[in-house]
Amino acid sequence: MILVRVIAAILEGVLVLALPPMLMSIVVKTKAWFAGRTGPPWFQPYYDLHKLLNKGAVYSRTTTWVFRAGPIVNLAALLTAATLVPVLSSHSVFGFAGDVILVAYLFALGRLFIVLAALDTGSSFEGMGASREVTFGTMSEPALFLSLIVLASATKSLQLSEMIGPQLFAARGAVGPALLLVVGALLIVLLTETCRVPVDDPATHLELTMIHEVMVLDHSGPDFAYITYGAALKFLLLGSILLHVAFPHPAQSPWIDVPLRVIELAGLAAVVGVIECSMARLRLNRVPLLLAGATVLAALAAVLALTGSVT
Amino acid sequence: MSAILASLAMLLGGAALSAMLSRMARLALMAGVASIIGASIMCLIAAWPCLAHSSEAAPTTLAWPTPLGEARLALDGLSAWFLVTIALLSSTVALYAWSYMQAEINRGPVPALAAFLCILVAALILVVTAADAVLFLIGWETMMLASFFLVSFHHRRREVRRAAWIYLIANHLGTALFVLPLFGMLAAKAGTLDFQFFRAALQGEGRDMTTVLFLLGLFGFGTKAGFMPMHIWLPVAHPAAPTPVSALLSGVVIKAGIYGLLRLLSWLPALPARCAIVMLVFGMVSGCLGVLYALAQHDIKRLLAYHSIENIGIIGLGIGMGMLGQSLGRPALVALGYGGALLHVLNHALFKGLLFLSAGAVMHATGTGDIERLGGLARMTPVNAGLFLLGAVSICGLPPFNGFVSEWMVFGSLLGGTWGASRSAAGMGAMGAISLALMGGLALACFAKVFGVVFLGEPRGRTLQAHATPPLMGTAMFVPAILCAGIGILPGVFVPLAGGGVRAVAGMGVREFGGAMQPILTSVTQLSLFATLLAAIIIVLLLLNRILIKQAGATVTRAVMTWGCAYAKPSARMQYTASSFAWSLIQSFRSLLWPQRKWVAPVGLFTAPSELETHTPDMAEQDVFAPLMRGAGRVFRMIRTVSWTGEPALRAIPVDAGGRARPARVLVAGVVTALRQGRIHVYLAFIVFTLLAVFIMESLSSRPLSAPGSPVPISAPAGGGIDDGGSK
Repeated sequence: MILVRVIAAILEGVLVLALPPMLMSIVVKTKAWFAGRTGPPWFQPYYDLHKLLNKGAVYSRTTTWVFRAGPIVNLAALLTAATLVPVLSSHSVFGFAGDVILVAYLFALGRLFIVLAALDTGSSFEGMGASREVTFGTMSEPALFLSLIVLASATKSLQLSEMIGPQLFAARGAVGPALLLVVGALLIVLLTETCRVPVDDPATHLELTMIHEVMVLDHSGPDFAYITYGAALKFLLLGSILLHVAFPHPAQSPWIDVPLRVIELAGLAAVVGVIECSMARLRLNRVPLLLAGATVLAALAAVLALTGSVT
Repeated sequence: MSAILASLAMLLGGAALSAMLSRMARLALMAGVASIIGASIMCLIAAWPCLAHSSEAAPTTLAWPTPLGEARLALDGLSAWFLVTIALLSSTVALYAWSYMQAEINRGPVPALAAFLCILVAALILVVTAADAVLFLIGWETMMLASFFLVSFHHRRREVRRAAWIYLIANHLGTALFVLPLFGMLAAKAGTLDFQFFRAALQGEGRDMTTVLFLLGLFGFGTKAGFMPMHIWLPVAHPAAPTPVSALLSGVVIKAGIYGLLRLLSWLPALPARCAIVMLVFGMVSGCLGVLYALAQHDIKRLLAYHSIENIGIIGLGIGMGMLGQSLGRPALVALGYGGALLHVLNHALFKGLLFLSAGAVMHATGTGDIERLGGLARMTPVNAGLFLLGAVSICGLPPFNGFVSEWMVFGSLLGGTWGASRSAAGMGAMGAISLALMGGLALACFAKVFGVVFLGEPRGRTLQAHATPPLMGTAMFVPAILCAGIGILPGVFVPLAGGGVRAVAGMGVREFGGAMQPILTSVTQLSLFATLLAAIIIVLLLLNRILIKQAGATVTRAVMTWGCAYAKPSARMQYTASSFAWSLIQSFRSLLWPQRKWVAPVGLFTAPSELETHTPDMAEQDVFAPLMRGAGRVFRMIRTVSWTGEPALRAIPVDAGGRARPARVLVAGVVTALRQGRIHVYLAFIVFTLLAVFIMESLSSRPLSAPGSPVPISAPAGGGIDDGGSK
């Protein structure tokens, strides 16, 4: 029995690690379909990663070891966080009371190192991207934590796999409307943290308007592969937290759970693609308003959940 | 206990020796450094059994009668925790100072610095071990005076003298207005100055009385600790002081305020929830505004000073949640809140000490602390850069270092401590959690800015020269660096050591506390697993990176320019500066900060020199205390005109702009002129009037007490009168 579970966990782990580029591919395909194009092949992100991993690297003479540490620490932090987030089934590899804070801070650790690597190049473009990244990252933090407060008080737990697992399914009746607001807030957080339209446009031509892409201008070869994969993995992790809140599953067999989640993730990627097609990127000074909106949504949810839980 | 006495003796000896060797600065410095290190080791020896076995040393009464009783020293879990903090940081700082101060030997009063450093450390030890109000206040005052002299080390500079005076005045106001009355009230309640009777004397005290005592403590000790808005001395004094002194000020001297507050809480019975809410609000305001102001600074030490205010805010959040736990009767919340606060005291001392020392090494190497002029130091001083990065990751509360562990505990108390409690408690928990999240994000932005601009990129000043960090300075910084990493990786070893302190503050029994602490420890030990996992993944990815590059037979090209988006001639001046990096955040929070910006924009084809200057003045300093102090100054000037005949402070007939004489001022001026004739009978009349006024006040205030038939107890609760009024 234990052997079966171990094998299932390993299979799930492999699937989780293999999935992120495919989600990116779905976003790109959706956008292509909207524009009436065929788009690149489905496996293009995998080909890109393969190509990058087999290339050499170019390092500017301004850079130091911090520049090389950036992609590595970022990806390591995200992979560590991946052990705590329930992605496909409602179980995570590890878990302890309070691990949700560790997950949030691991994301922050990754962000710090990407930002430092950008500043290490001494380029004004990358400095600009870094400045925007920390600005919007900071502003999305209250919305994220307010959403976590709602989930924590709904499930009376600080362990992420319980906060968004079957316990949430059991509690969804009591905090229903609050969860809806949390989904809205988390969607904005997801779009911000993964640098998607309307906060950032990953496909823009002009460096002056980018956030994430301009920060990683100078990375090449395997370093850039790490960064691309890390961004996709971050999308997967935040997206699955969002989906677990939006569609809480009861405790059920992984044979139903996992395929269902994969379909939901594909749907989420398609939704993000639709958002990217249907609206333009916001002007940079409007983005704080969007994030304030997310915070207000989450605050409202927190008020509902906290007053509901007392009486 | 004898170890503490020995360390005090050693420090006083060191101070005396340094003072006597004032002609031989090098020897004096050596004597000071050696005695501080020796004393720190003695303190660690004394504190260890207290922490490891949570035993309490019996109070030692010295045979030296002080004016108001006997000198008593005691060591419990709380004292021992602060003693360890003091010992660890002072020994590091002493070692660092030996190397750092060599350059100052022929320029400044180094022997005096060494002597006052010894006195400061001795006073700190005295403050945290005193078990008697008089001894505590002697230590408190000595600490303040010693640090005043240390701050004014570069006393020839005008701004340093100003900083030292602000430090002295702010702290003395805090002591005189709040700490002295607090101890007066405590002594009146207990009938003794001995700390060990305070707790028993205050049990069963009314809510209003305990609230008043708590507020006195919060303002008095909070001035020392640097809670906003009593923080104004902090960002002024830290940059003015020489680096070892700033590290000590930020690392341990402000923690003496926290110690005072926690010691007071250990005497008070469970406080009403409103006190906890006040504490939490102070924590949130200090934390958020502290880090926002830090983000707006250009001077590295001033920036770090504002971060101390932020961290004091985090400690305040922990203390507030502990208090809330006490008033709600939740041992788990008490353990998490106070435990997180205590751990953060030690952690902040370690990483802030490290950051100050590292910033000092930057200033030592380049001669400037202006962030805008620095850059690219990671290539010139790689060791220092690594140490600063470690400190920065720790202070941002990121795993796997120590800041994360204490912030994790405080977060745990905020997020999970108030389930099912009252609405106000749950709401405060939620507000605390989002402000702590905001602080985390802003601290990350701030340290990305400092590290990125100072150590990475290209030097912004064209002629920036930097020499390598002297080996002894580097060695000294490794001590806190190793502890930062150690506490972060093995929190299961260090967190239980704070248990004795928590029990002392909350007055919990061993069994009750153990039950509350068990689940926390179970979770905390898990953090080691993830620190290891993170390190392992980093190593694997690093190796993979190397292997891939080698296997592909591809080349690593090193000597190229940064890709400037096809611009061929980028220069170092085109880099993002610290101000531009922080500006978008500052701009978003402008309604809280009121940044000022002077901008002469370039106009036309052949532009005149343009300039941009940003400056963020401290609101509390500029809009609250400066007008207050100006008003006080005016009053004092009038008093001085009365008593001192030499100065014509007020014009004979004040006339306003319209040429019209203003009657009120004419009257005042006339009285003043009459008074300042220097005639003795005027002063005699003054004294008589004053006596009369005192007599009238005295007779008025004593009337209700002597009224026959209705004896009113002296210690009637203050709220009683209000209730009577309401019932009529």
